[in-house]
Amino acid sequence: MSSKSYKIKEKISDALELPKDITLDIPKIVILGTDSVSIENHKGIISYKDNEVRINTGSGILTITGHKLAIKSIILEEIIIIGKIDSIGYR
Amino acid sequence: MLILRIWNYLRGYAIIIVKGIKIERFINLAVVNDIYLWDIEKIDYTTIKAKISSKDFLKLRSIVRKTDSNIQIIEKCGIPFKLKKIKNRKWFFAGVAALFIFIYILSSYIWMIEIYGLQNIDEQVIIDNLSYEGLKIGVRKNKINKREIENKMLIRMPELTWVGLEIKGTKAFVTIVEKKPEPQLINRDEPCDIIASKNGVIEKILVLNGDGMVKDGDTVKKNQLLVSGTIIRDNFPERYVHSMAEVHARTWYEDVEEIPYEQIEYRKSGKVYTTYSMEIINRKLERNKKIPYEDYNKREREIYVLNFGSYVFPIKLVITEYEELVSMTKIISADEAKTICEERLNTKIKLQIPEDAVILNQRIEYFPNEKSLIGKIYVEVLEDIGVKVRIY
Repeated sequence: MSSKSYKIKEKISDALELPKDITLDIPKIVILGTDSVSIENHKGIISYKDNEVRINTGSGILTITGHKLAIKSIILEEIIIIGKIDSIGYR
Repeated sequence: MLILRIWNYLRGYAIIIVKGIKIERFINLAVVNDIYLWDIEKIDYTTIKAKISSKDFLKLRSIVRKTDSNIQIIEKCGIPFKLKKIKNRKWFFAGVAALFIFIYILSSYIWMIEIYGLQNIDEQVIIDNLSYEGLKIGVRKNKINKREIENKMLIRMPELTWVGLEIKGTKAFVTIVEKKPEPQLINRDEPCDIIASKNGVIEKILVLNGDGMVKDGDTVKKNQLLVSGTIIRDNFPERYVHSMAEVHARTWYEDVEEIPYEQIEYRKSGKVYTTYSMEIINRKLERNKKIPYEDYNKREREIYVLNFGSYVFPIKLVITEYEELVSMTKIISADEAKTICEERLNTKIKLQIPEDAVILNQRIEYFPNEKSLIGKIYVEVLEDIGVKVRIY
């Protein structure tokens, strides 16, 4: 992730105040309380279990743990995961 | 994504169960191939449940082959599948629709006529006349013009004073009021007496037929015999005649009225308080609000909310308006009281005196006391007091 082109891109988008999630292809994660997480700019599901979902993104593997996790909707740009969410992290 | 869901519902979707070891790969491939999956739930380690549109379902085949998984449809949802179900049971739905149409058609005719208020007239006569004017069993409800039938019935049947027509459901309620029997006139060839209809002093009596029993200037009491139709002469048998006479007598009328000096007047203050309530099948739904005025004029308006053809649903909005009244105590002078008193006495006495009477004398006496003025009116009139009574 710390390649040369990435740093140049980051600097340009900082200078021009462009939204980073678009220019750098990194995920934008929106958490709604403990019930719902939406991940834009994902790169597919790595593993899907009832209590853990792992999603590949531009900034690493996003792991969501909780209970009764379900994928409410999945399209190329966005995943919405619902259920009781305990933690979210890059692991 | 809600719009997409609605779209999918309209196009039809299926709930599927996918079994396979590479379940994540299956989801990813679906996404890449532009297949929309939603409401994905994990059932066990190798199984998921998901929803998919019927169009996308066919595209799954290649993915299934690539991931070695196994698909099973557990439920088909959405409009196209529902329509299919309806198609399979079309006669059932046609029957339901026919039933509703049948009920609607049947309930738009009059099937019963009830008549209230009959006393002397035969019910069949009323029914015949009603059917002639267009109200009979089996007639369409919207062809009935209630006011017109009422008016025509009154013209057709002069023995009726009033006709009211109301339609409730398939029943027509006809309320009639019969005319009171007219006072029986005594024929010229029937013998009769003439008696006094009220107390008075005879001013002038002119006997055309019969024997006069009173003279001018006599004081007579009510029901006293004035002219006898029984003629008794010496040496002749009793003879009965039809008495005829003009009996003019002076009679009196009096009345009392009290006018207090303190008069309370109500005036509108211009403030209006409005409340709204619903009434559903005669059951009132109302918030109990306190009316902020002590004295008020109440006015109610009713609006039927739902109308469906000739049906009026028994749901109405009642708007009640309260207009505030302000009471004012006014002290009036003795002269003013006298004018009011006179006015009221005159209108009151006019109701008592018959129209053809001639007013000879009129006098008002006042008896003032501390709080009010009492006025008494005496009227002396000249009127015909003779009433014919048949001799039996």
